[in-house]
Amino acid sequence: MKTNTSRFASRTALLFAFVVAATVARPAIPVGDSNVQIGGFFSQGWLYSDNNNYPTADKGGTWDFREMAFNASTTFGSHLRVGGQVFAQRLGDLGEDHVILDWAVADYNFNPAFGIRAGRVKYPKGLYGEALDLDIVRPFVFLPGAVYSPILRDFSASFDGGMFYGSINVGKGSFDYKVFAGRIPMTPSQGVSEFYNNAGLYAAPGATALGMDSVAGGQLTWNTPVNGLKFVYSYSQFKNLHTDGPFVAYPPVDVASNIELFTWHTISVEYTLNSWVFAAEWQRSHGDFGYNALPLLPPTIGPVGWDGWYVSAARRLNDKYQVGAYYGNLQTDVNFSGSNPADYQHDIAVCLRYDYNEHIVFKIEGHYIDGTYQTFDTVRIPNPPAARKNDTTVIAVKTTFSF
Amino acid sequence: MKITHLRRLCVAAFVLLALAQAAAAPALIGNKNLAGEKLDAATLKSVFLGKKVAWDGAGRVVLAVLKNGPVADAFLQGAVDMNASGFNNYWRRLAMTGGGTAPKSFEKEEDLRRFVAETPGAIGFVDSAAADASVAVLTPAP
Repeated sequence: MKTNTSRFASRTALLFAFVVAATVARPAIPVGDSNVQIGGFFSQGWLYSDNNNYPTADKGGTWDFREMAFNASTTFGSHLRVGGQVFAQRLGDLGEDHVILDWAVADYNFNPAFGIRAGRVKYPKGLYGEALDLDIVRPFVFLPGAVYSPILRDFSASFDGGMFYGSINVGKGSFDYKVFAGRIPMTPSQGVSEFYNNAGLYAAPGATALGMDSVAGGQLTWNTPVNGLKFVYSYSQFKNLHTDGPFVAYPPVDVASNIELFTWHTISVEYTLNSWVFAAEWQRSHGDFGYNALPLLPPTIGPVGWDGWYVSAARRLNDKYQVGAYYGNLQTDVNFSGSNPADYQHDIAVCLRYDYNEHIVFKIEGHYIDGTYQTFDTVRIPNPPAARKNDTTVIAVKTTFSF
Repeated sequence: MKITHLRRLCVAAFVLLALAQAAAAPALIGNKNLAGEKLDAATLKSVFLGKKVAWDGAGRVVLAVLKNGPVADAFLQGAVDMNASGFNNYWRRLAMTGGGTAPKSFEKEEDLRRFVAETPGAIGFVDSAAADASVAVLTPAP
């Protein structure tokens, strides 16, 4: 009871802080005459699915769907900038409104072609990987799950390490590059653990330890001479992605797993034409999953990974309204069978965004999802096989206040 | 009689529209300490997209923009191939993800001009009629 009370109090205090900050603040501008900038957002939504719990425990509807962030940054001299953002989310039973450090960087920009950023840095993957929760910059409630799994938000957002970046003009276009290395902090409470907990190796509630040795990669963006058209290639790799937890068949014994090298390739294109934004991305992830529970289970290894792609279109109708739609396809790349719904996920989504003013937006979005790939059955996202259907409809309603 | 009124109304609307278009002639202005800076179209784009954060000899780049309106749309379309809404989204994304310091935005041109005049390294845009001797009117090389 005490815990619940203090948790409620901390959430209330956090919400109050956001409201106060939002009331006194204006969008990402200096505070007084200083060069300190503050910003943030608070969103609250309602999530409903009819047949399966997807992307989280939302069957029949849930209000446990919110995000909040507060950031501040400032500059020193001509080239140095420092800043950070705290973030909290609730997505069903994921996140639990715990405040985490989302990003915190020191950035030294020598010139347009070369800069260094270090600290907790946003993880660049695809067109929108660094802006996963920025409702304000897109019409969709959920980015296409085929490339941006919603339950990986707290894992895919940032890494601890460093990045080189820059931009080089070539003809009438330019190339932007980012090269990075570091480590993504992992805990069993993150959504990423559901990928392991769904594998059927661990006794409930699931893996008790997760970690990785390193993440490294890069991103190259070609801003073409055609106005609004850009191509992006992103690559990243995790080394020794490992987990530990009680073996489901005999909990006193632990199961240890390791993926020596897990790779992500993402190819993206975005074209902005007047009030239209078109985007398409393809992503392949792959690794070899090894596990053992000695002496009960000998070392075993097998491939793991998936392919995902989507196409999307969005159009701003006027200052108030924007509409969007996408089709996404996600499927296992291990023994894929087109006739087995557990091997694929086809997602058709349509959305409507309404801008009440520059700070407040409302969104409503509908999904029809055919197939159950990455529809998990875990303690936090229960989908027992007997109750699981081959398709599901998801409705998301969300309002976001940003400043 | 009614048709005549309608015609006059249409002509007046057309003239007002034409005047509004003609008024949206943006001028690039900067603090007077930018007078020695070399500025071409590519550099200007780099500055307004947050890729160039420091001048060669005038300290840190400080961006000042109008929040919206025809002057903002006309300038930003020409300088960075975005309208004001797209530009705002671009910067919201950068500022919220640790990628840059957002421009200072203004509702009124006179406030923007005063800020640019008083802030070393500041660069912005106003309607050409609103530029005065307190700021340097900059002309990027093609």
